[in-house]
Amino acid sequence: MTVTLPERTADAGTTSVRKRRTFRPVGFLLALPPVLLILVFVGFPIVLALGFSLGFTGGLNHTVAIIGQNVHESTSGFGTLAAYQEVFSNQRFLTDLGVTVLVTVLATVLVISLALGIGLFLKLRGGRIARLLSGLAIVPLFIPVVISSWAILTFYSGDGFMRSFFAHLGVEFPVWSFTMVAVIIGSVWTSLPFATLMITSGLQAVPDAMIEAARDAGAGFVRIVLSVIVPMAFIPIIIATTFTAIGVVGSFTVPYFLGPNSPNMLGVDMSNYFSSFNQPQQSVVMAFAVFVIASGLAALYVWANFRSAKEQGKA
Amino acid sequence: MTATVTPRRRKSGPGPAVMLLVGLFVLLMTIFIIGPLVWLGLHAFSESWSYPNLLPSSWTMRWWQVVLSDKSLGVAVQNSLFFAPMTVLLSSIICLPAAYAFARHEFWGRRTFLIGLFATNAFPKMGLFVTIASLFYALNLMNTITGVLIIHILGTVVFMTWIPAAAFAAVPRSLEEAARDAGASKLRVLTSVTLPMAFPGILVAMVMSFLASFDEAQGTYLVGAPVFMTMPTQMYSLVLNYPNQVAAVFSILLAIPSVALMTAAHKHIAGGHLAEGFQIK
Repeated sequence: MTVTLPERTADAGTTSVRKRRTFRPVGFLLALPPVLLILVFVGFPIVLALGFSLGFTGGLNHTVAIIGQNVHESTSGFGTLAAYQEVFSNQRFLTDLGVTVLVTVLATVLVISLALGIGLFLKLRGGRIARLLSGLAIVPLFIPVVISSWAILTFYSGDGFMRSFFAHLGVEFPVWSFTMVAVIIGSVWTSLPFATLMITSGLQAVPDAMIEAARDAGAGFVRIVLSVIVPMAFIPIIIATTFTAIGVVGSFTVPYFLGPNSPNMLGVDMSNYFSSFNQPQQSVVMAFAVFVIASGLAALYVWANFRSAKEQGKA
Repeated sequence: MTATVTPRRRKSGPGPAVMLLVGLFVLLMTIFIIGPLVWLGLHAFSESWSYPNLLPSSWTMRWWQVVLSDKSLGVAVQNSLFFAPMTVLLSSIICLPAAYAFARHEFWGRRTFLIGLFATNAFPKMGLFVTIASLFYALNLMNTITGVLIIHILGTVVFMTWIPAAAFAAVPRSLEEAARDAGASKLRVLTSVTLPMAFPGILVAMVMSFLASFDEAQGTYLVGAPVFMTMPTQMYSLVLNYPNQVAAVFSILLAIPSVALMTAAHKHIAGGHLAEGFQIK
């Protein structure tokens, strides 16, 4: 995309100066609508919610504060951490926080390994089997999450396929439905397409000539992967990793359908505390706990993008 | 270079052990990915099915009648078919000009804007909907079409901005300039050069947005239920209140638009437009 810049400046003379990304207010104005939408309906509610979690129950938070039970109100003007203290001393929350982090790490590692494996296979060997594999990995993109969760639930249930199949072989296969194993399976299933698309497209961009040169210099498979391919496709791999992790850490549908009542992931707890237990403040505190984790991952994503922009000489 | 590429692939012909491992991996992946879908699909036609049989012992179309004659399910289908196209339309109007600006203009806060849009992805959806709900109470948007549409559009902003922005940026500017030099007006360049060339990326964004709206369940449930039930929100109650087979039939119905659209756009999605859109430039 950036490669075309220099040649254009050379041949197009004065017009290209004007047509390169020009500093004009019209761009700012065109870009404004989606940004305003996000500011009003995401940014503002998040600020409001932060206030609510700190015990500010006036203004727009009034309705929620009246409907909700067990709301900690701030008596001073500085807010109170009472809701955070309550949630973070709740053993169930701490267990679920641990479960959420564990599921996120395991699912992300599995997804990225699978996507890397498929991507490398496609890059280094190619052929029909490799295309079949990458096609398979994209199938979940076609299926709404509600359906896939339900399908996975019936597949690994007490009378599901896995149990039936192994019963014919005389083996007692464990029931995975309503366990954290099913949640991890479901998370991998739903996250695989995006990671595979991202990583295969990143790996395909590595020039064949470089791999060829490394091979001629005597590098083995592992060496080529670690020293040539992975560093060159580093940015897409980081993007795939962060998006997968952010998706899993805040997920609701997959753990809601596939997981046990307790312990389960925080997405389910948030929903339960809001609707079933009618404790919106505690629910919001949990949302911020997940948000802090996701922000850390988002920072990694942004850093990776800036790094790639710098490498291309754009920053 | 081409001369060296061809022998490379033949030189390292895989041994039988490697082929066996690869075959095993393909088999396991097929069971892992396709297995649950086939298993669920079979339930839609099963009359009776006892463990541990691998197929139902008798077949029926009864469950399809149950679903197709159910009024509330029909309404859910109608609602979904209204909200999803409306979401794509409104989201296009809001986001496509911005995508063009991100690709073609440099302006104050450009990078900040791009990353700011990302905030919708970083904050957990469930937490976000909980916080939006309190704002919607105050603005009287609960149980309104506008409220549901806002929730759906929020879920499409990232797709609708990032992916077309990458597509616009990939249109060679020399082509646009050549058209200008040949006397085409700015509008003509946009409609005859830029838009057609960026179309595959825009199409991918539209398909992803349609599906995001079509699949959105948590937010719609919180803001729209029980007045506006869509297919996925209906699915939540189906799973709890109806026999397994009804949910299976409904799943197949719910999957039809997704599969059709995805198949239509598959070439472009796998062709890298989706991946390209997620790299901030």
